[in-house]
Amino acid sequence: MAMLEVSNIHTYYGNIHALKGISLTVDKGEIVTLIGANGAGKTTTLSSICGLTKPRQGTITLEGEDLTPVKPHEIVTKGVSMVPEGRGIFARLTVAENLDLGAYSRPTNRQEADKDLEEIFSLFPRLKERYSQVAGTLSGGEQQMLAIGRAIMAHPRLLLLDEPSMGLAPILVQSIFGIIQSINQRGTTILLVEQNALMALSIASRGYVLQSGQIVLSDTARNLKENEMVQKAYLGAG
Amino acid sequence: MKTQIKSSLRAGITFGIVTLFLYLIGFTITVSQIIQNLLKLEPDSLVLGVDALTFSFALFMGGLGFWAGARQVSVSRKGLGSALVAATLSGLVHGLIVALVAYITGTLNASGIKMNTYLSQLLPASVQLFIFNQTPAVGALSQLGFLTFMGFLGGAVSYGITVSNLFGRLAGAWRSLWGRVNDVPVIAKFRASPAFNYTVCGLILLLMILLPLRVGQYWNYTLGTVGIYVLLGLGLNIVVGLAGLLNLGYVAFFAIGAYTVALLTAPAPHGLVWNFWLVLPLGILAATLVGILLVVPVLRMRGDYLAIVTLGFGEIIRILSKSDALTFLTGGPKGVNNVGGPELFGWVFDDVGYLYLIFLSVLLAIFVTRRLQNSRIGRAWESMREDETVSRAMGINVLKHKVLAFAIGAAFAGLGGVLFAARNQFTGPEDHNLMVSINVLSAVIVGGMGSVPGVIAGAFVLKGLPEILRELENYRVLAFATLLVVMMLVRPAGILPASRGKFEIQGGGSTSEPGKEGSQK
Repeated sequence: MAMLEVSNIHTYYGNIHALKGISLTVDKGEIVTLIGANGAGKTTTLSSICGLTKPRQGTITLEGEDLTPVKPHEIVTKGVSMVPEGRGIFARLTVAENLDLGAYSRPTNRQEADKDLEEIFSLFPRLKERYSQVAGTLSGGEQQMLAIGRAIMAHPRLLLLDEPSMGLAPILVQSIFGIIQSINQRGTTILLVEQNALMALSIASRGYVLQSGQIVLSDTARNLKENEMVQKAYLGAG
Repeated sequence: MKTQIKSSLRAGITFGIVTLFLYLIGFTITVSQIIQNLLKLEPDSLVLGVDALTFSFALFMGGLGFWAGARQVSVSRKGLGSALVAATLSGLVHGLIVALVAYITGTLNASGIKMNTYLSQLLPASVQLFIFNQTPAVGALSQLGFLTFMGFLGGAVSYGITVSNLFGRLAGAWRSLWGRVNDVPVIAKFRASPAFNYTVCGLILLLMILLPLRVGQYWNYTLGTVGIYVLLGLGLNIVVGLAGLLNLGYVAFFAIGAYTVALLTAPAPHGLVWNFWLVLPLGILAATLVGILLVVPVLRMRGDYLAIVTLGFGEIIRILSKSDALTFLTGGPKGVNNVGGPELFGWVFDDVGYLYLIFLSVLLAIFVTRRLQNSRIGRAWESMREDETVSRAMGINVLKHKVLAFAIGAAFAGLGGVLFAARNQFTGPEDHNLMVSINVLSAVIVGGMGSVPGVIAGAFVLKGLPEILRELENYRVLAFATLLVVMMLVRPAGILPASRGKFEIQGGGSTSEPGKEGSQK
């Protein structure tokens, strides 16, 4: 059974029809990417899954359980965690507090939380150096690491990443994507939204191409890379 | 050199304009009288050949001129010569502006034109003082010469201080002395042990017990008002400082508390003379319930929209309490008299008793705030303040926490209202106007949002400072407002901002500037 199954969802912002019947599946252990231009509906798809913008039609199921009627703050407890677009760290709180808030959905004792922290520090040693620093003073790359670390603190089964490469230097993008792969290897299923299609397709197993609220193409990552239309529109070829 | 001259000219003009402004509103003569009183000079005595008031005025003007000159040195640090030229130039410009106006007003005054018909504070005595009780020409020239000289002097002294790094050395000496005291084994051990904290708390507590017995009725009243504002500030601090919900109608909850105690304990209009101790929790409860009722319709609003709605709500409560139609219920525009107060074993609370009660409430509020701030709830509030959407995505029930913040904030305000009405033995619509909300919000902002010591400091500044400035009479509000502006310029994050982690303390105020990092979502 698929980990996540989104079938035919329609999401609106007031009268604006943002998602016009999106369907996609993510299998357990996979990295699936969602690529598309600005305004295609990538972020809206993620926030629909999180419940932040509820779809008016269609269903979203997580390992068979319907998420559509579940409240957004309860969806986290079901095992869906998000790294929001533009990182969305809590700028005036410390790194420590940001990470603790990641585990908010899952009341833990100090020992468990410390164990989780150790795991995150092994992925992001920089966060350990910055532990008691105010998050707003971190560099862009460190903030992205913090946002990912915070999302992992919730112990998600499914991790949603919204443009983790945004505004980062190419070398940092490389290392962030490496970390995303290693999170995946530790058993977390990942749905990745990216504008940097080349990077996204190089670590994903499958991908969906989104255009004005609809999925226009879906295939394995390898085939998508070869696809003429994808190359033209997103990979900067010919 | 060119920029230096420009900056000197600018400083001279600024100081000239400020001096004239103070002159036109009559501040110069008032402050001269205050200086004269402070120095305990007899009005008729002569000091250095001039009468006491003129001497005091010269001190004031000299101070201004000195300041104008001294400022120039910190701007230009190029050597004694250029520093002195800059300082003297700014003194000269300052003097020219002042002298010109002194001559004009002095001449007009001498020819018998009553300027106070047009500018009510420009009394003949004030004009005469401004020209040092001389003829207009001599007075104006004295002003010019005096201010130029004081500018020069200010430049010279300030240059000396800057070059010799006097303040830096003094601070260094103080630090090393302090360090040496702390290095004494007994003291170091004591400071590290928990006994130190207990001792500090004990001393504060002792002060809180002894102070009301010593300072007299007037200061007990003032301290009580400050205490009630601390209480209100702590409540609003939860709503605005922690949860980030801008509430401009906070006075409404204060009014609910005050009216609850007033209507239930006063002989009129309802004739219910209930016991104060029974009404106290009822007042808090009523305010809390209204807080919850208010927040439900505005749950989905943020920022400015929330501020406007709450602003309206505060006014609605006040206007309802004032309306003729509801006079049978609320006592109407005249308010409620003879509000009942607390009694304990036959002891009717006097000013000291009320102050103790207020102190106790403040301690309780501080305790509750501290516990909340460091709990899961406090964390959730702070994350909501930073980014509501993301905190929802972290699994925080934003709606529940908004209601909770409003309810607890309202409870604090309700308690404040109960104490306020009982102590004054009166409450009326004008006790609950918009200025209360604004003052409390100012206390939170001036003190430092989200910080308990900050709120206390802010309440002292907002409610205590005007009492201390009473000496300035008509110019009290002016001086108070100026001080507030200066304070916000010097410490934009508040007097005692919320500290967070080691880094921020080292990095200074820049990291905690509100909105700077948070806005780059």
